[in-house]
Amino acid sequence: MAAALVLAFCASLAFGAVHIPVSDVIGTIFGDKVPETSQQIIEVLRLPRTIEAILVGAALGVAGACLQGALNNPLASPDVIGVTSGAGFGAMLIILLNPASVELLPLSALAFGLIAAGMVFLIGFTGRGGGNITRVILAGIAIAALFSAATAALMSAYPDRVPNAVFFLVGGLTSTGWENLETVWPYFAFGFVLAVFMIRPLDKLMLGDDVAASLGSRPRLIRLLAAIAAAVLASAAAAIAGLLAFLGLVIPHLVRLLGGTNNHTFVIPVSALAGAALLTAADTLARTIAAPVEMPVGPFLVLLGVPLFLWLLRKAV
Amino acid sequence: MAIGRKTIRIDERAPLLQASGVQVTIGKKRILESADLTLERGELVAIVGPNGAGKSTFARGFCGLRRPDGGSVRWMGVDLSELRGRRLADMRAYVPQRAQVPAGVTVQAAVNIGRSTHLKPLQGLSSEDRDVIAESIARARMEGFEDRDLGTLSGGEMQRVQIAIALAQGSPVLVADEPTAQLDLGATAAISKMLRELVSEGMGVVLIVHDLALAAAIADRVVVMSHGRTIATGTPEAVLSSQLISEVWGVEAELVHKDGRSALHVEWLDHH
Repeated sequence: MAAALVLAFCASLAFGAVHIPVSDVIGTIFGDKVPETSQQIIEVLRLPRTIEAILVGAALGVAGACLQGALNNPLASPDVIGVTSGAGFGAMLIILLNPASVELLPLSALAFGLIAAGMVFLIGFTGRGGGNITRVILAGIAIAALFSAATAALMSAYPDRVPNAVFFLVGGLTSTGWENLETVWPYFAFGFVLAVFMIRPLDKLMLGDDVAASLGSRPRLIRLLAAIAAAVLASAAAAIAGLLAFLGLVIPHLVRLLGGTNNHTFVIPVSALAGAALLTAADTLARTIAAPVEMPVGPFLVLLGVPLFLWLLRKAV
Repeated sequence: MAIGRKTIRIDERAPLLQASGVQVTIGKKRILESADLTLERGELVAIVGPNGAGKSTFARGFCGLRRPDGGSVRWMGVDLSELRGRRLADMRAYVPQRAQVPAGVTVQAAVNIGRSTHLKPLQGLSSEDRDVIAESIARARMEGFEDRDLGTLSGGEMQRVQIAIALAQGSPVLVADEPTAQLDLGATAAISKMLRELVSEGMGVVLIVHDLALAAAIADRVVVMSHGRTIATGTPEAVLSSQLISEVWGVEAELVHKDGRSALHVEWLDHH
């Protein structure tokens, strides 16, 4: 998986509207002398975009793995805790209502993703019987419906601006340099660090709440912290790349099927690698296949991911 | 790194567990009125009683899975309220009644998780930890099953894995809620022998059990519960009289116990 990521990384830097020889790519990375245009394209356009793809892919893979572990439910993805709908609404607020300040889009998507998740956690985790999995999931579905309805209302109020929103809604990366990452990186950092510390607690939880409690853990707290890590990672991912929640659902399953184990010690780190590799590869394809026109990566991801996933599914069961 | 942590004082001479007047309220209903239990080293205590008497609630209460609302629980002289996380895990291991069976996890991986309280975050297993894990698997008679997926195990094997996980925790007390409830005769006997072995090595074991004949055969003492209270404690012979069985279970029965064999002679239908 690490090798696949390195390969995708190099391909992502080499291919695009302008093809750059792999030797120049390697040269740029290691600071050797290469043609200036190549160096410029790589450093200003492709490197930030590739780093974004890696971070977003890894974040969604980890978010999915954390949530599926926390909710003990194979269907869990960032949709389930409202992040996707919240972030979508936050983006539409800018794109449809306030297109002049488009630079606020990542921040707004991030903020509303977190707000939606916060509402879900407030309802799902507080009070008597808080932390009950069914309650969290139902709260998530309700909050997601709320934000989706608000998004739909906005879209019907400004139908002429909807085309601008499509790129965000289907999910995709853009070559906009380091700006977005500069805003969002602390959220990625926080989410990844928290996720790393949740690996072992999630393994305990996998053996059941009572075994986790026997081992001195608090199952409810593990659920909440793992879900927070997932919410932060998925919101940060949405801020940069729009709605790609499919990746969060499928990557952990892919990793479990390939690895034949459900241990989080394996699933969480490998989901990060697999998510990063798949999104980087899909993004490279999306901008080369009809170059110089760029396709949004979301549909490509589905085209690439679904057959692989279905093939593994049939092989495993 | 002891910031914010009180030091606790373990009293080596105190009983492993001393619970008295334990109360548990769930919602507005008091499930447990007043329950007492003392456990010494090298002792197996069985909690018996009819369905709904509060046996599981009591065990979960003194194990700290659901904190009691009243009474006192002391583990080796330390109050339960001072025990959290690793410290609580070091005092007792709890084997739940219905184990979750996650597929895609091997026996080895599951028992490794049982040892994880001994590790700092991100720290790997030491060779000493690996020895304890191997020994736990051996004591639970699961050698040779290390690479088997939990999803492929029988009920008895799964129960033994649960005990191995608990043993890897390395605490002096094992509390098991009906470990033999779903098991056939052979598997029940195997688990019983294993638990007695642990007791002979000095561990304390608390067993919640339905089968009075089994309790009489393997327990040093029994605690009888009825309607949220412990109503009798003592050796099986002294406590499980026909009169008490009649009062608590409403059934005419006699416990026959000799030469290491035990049976409950029950009057299943009315004979007048």
